[in-house]
Amino acid sequence: MAAPDELFCWEGDWGLPSVSTDCLVVLFILTKFTVFILKYPGICSPWRSPGGSLPALRTNQNETLSRPSDIIIHLRKQKFNADFDLSAKEGADSLAFISLLEEKLMPALIYTFWVEPKNFVEVTRRWYAEHMMFPLNFFLPGRMQSRQLEKLRLLRGDEHLEAGEELEKELYRDAAECMNLLSQRLGSHKFFFGDSPSSLDAYVFGHLAPILKCKLPNGKLQQHLKSLDNLSDFCSNILLLYFPRDSRAEPSAQKAPAAPEAGDFDNVPNKRRKQFLSALFALGAMLSYALLTGMVSIQHGHQEALEEPPDPEHIGAHEEEGDG
Amino acid sequence: MDDQILLSDHASSLSVQAYLRMCGLPIQVVCRYNAEYMSPSGKIPFIHVGNQVVSELGPVVQFTKAKGHSLSDSLDDVQRAEMKAYMELVYNMLLTSELFVQWCDDATAGEISRPRYSSPYSWPLGNILAYQKQWEVRRKMNAIGWGGKTLEQVYEDVNQCCQALSQRLGTQPYFFNKQATELDALVFGHLFTILTTRLTSTELAERVKSYSNLLSFCRRIEQTYFEDKKLMKD
Repeated sequence: MAAPDELFCWEGDWGLPSVSTDCLVVLFILTKFTVFILKYPGICSPWRSPGGSLPALRTNQNETLSRPSDIIIHLRKQKFNADFDLSAKEGADSLAFISLLEEKLMPALIYTFWVEPKNFVEVTRRWYAEHMMFPLNFFLPGRMQSRQLEKLRLLRGDEHLEAGEELEKELYRDAAECMNLLSQRLGSHKFFFGDSPSSLDAYVFGHLAPILKCKLPNGKLQQHLKSLDNLSDFCSNILLLYFPRDSRAEPSAQKAPAAPEAGDFDNVPNKRRKQFLSALFALGAMLSYALLTGMVSIQHGHQEALEEPPDPEHIGAHEEEGDG
Repeated sequence: MDDQILLSDHASSLSVQAYLRMCGLPIQVVCRYNAEYMSPSGKIPFIHVGNQVVSELGPVVQFTKAKGHSLSDSLDDVQRAEMKAYMELVYNMLLTSELFVQWCDDATAGEISRPRYSSPYSWPLGNILAYQKQWEVRRKMNAIGWGGKTLEQVYEDVNQCCQALSQRLGTQPYFFNKQATELDALVFGHLFTILTTRLTSTELAERVKSYSNLLSFCRRIEQTYFEDKKLMKD
């Protein structure tokens, strides 16, 4: 039997199986099939992924695919077609609405999670820093942010784009329009095309679920999404039906922020280990300084007598040398 | 400028011309080599009305709507959602493919795009500007994940896009049955330009030609709205 493909995904939080939009798209598509893929869902470092970014699917031909559209095409070649039941016209509509999502909603998503200063500092950067290993947590979130900012700049065609009210208004207006259009298209149906999910449902879920579930300080997108009942129900139903474990995990994650501000220090994972390591490091630094400057000297065997408290005249001689 | 303009810009420009003609508004096309720099968003085409300047099809549609001319008023909400989605499909797939073929394919970039782009300037300014534009487009392709694509994959994307458009059009005269909308203008602009522009290979045009209803659609719009103007580019 051929070796199974391997899928690497970002870890989940806030009641979601993964915090990344692309990972959510891929995970949802995979729930539709019983395909033999080894999943590594709790990855917290893009360096552990074969392609250097997440999500990543390593095929049994050792090829690494990173974009959800490439992964969907790969699955289709292996006869797992998410859009099998769609008619030709529905397939065309699917393609069109996915383009709509990528052009109108994705820039707003990037802005709200990575560029908006309050959201980035209080939520995004904190989450990634807490979940990444030392020493990656110091520089990797910052690097991810600059890459996302550059992507946003290239998408908008403006090299000097900075976070600001005007940009925010424009992006959120486009995103709101996109969500309204999706809501109109969905109507009162369970999924966009018929009774079973297709790739468009996966893309919509992947983009909207993080907005719905993550509590951000600047939550205008979330407010708008919550006002569209059919879209919020769409996301919640998918989470309940297809990712029950993660949606049940949500309440415990929400209790932590309810604790007072000082309690934040208690929420640092591996607190004891970090304290011990820090103390050990400090002790080691002090000892090596003492050894190097000669304040403490280690003599072997019969010369142990030198380590006894020195006579007063020796101390005096030592002090003169020190002053001189 | 006629000698300077490239496939993607000509497509966008033709879309806006088609839209304005469909609205019945008189227009005059003016070519300038520094049009890109005059435009408020850095992209061409742009229209200059009185003392206002509006660039790109989306804002132009909204501008004319504010002045009382609109082609999509009779559509219901679901149809309008579909129209917007298909317009984004054209931007996302067709326009990006055009940019890719022009600037990321070394043969086309070297033989056609760079010489044309730099034609109004003297050496070495022309060269510098052309390479700068190429580098800018390649960075954008990398950012959206198209950097690793081959030409074949891009042609396949164009094929998929045309298939989707062909499906949606079906046997109707326009995308929303009897009436032309901004989607028709946009699709016409891009498809007509692809069909009539000479590139290093005819693959792009061949992909479009394989859909007969799209061909007759382009011919119909050309005959209806552009009968007084010679549209053929070299």
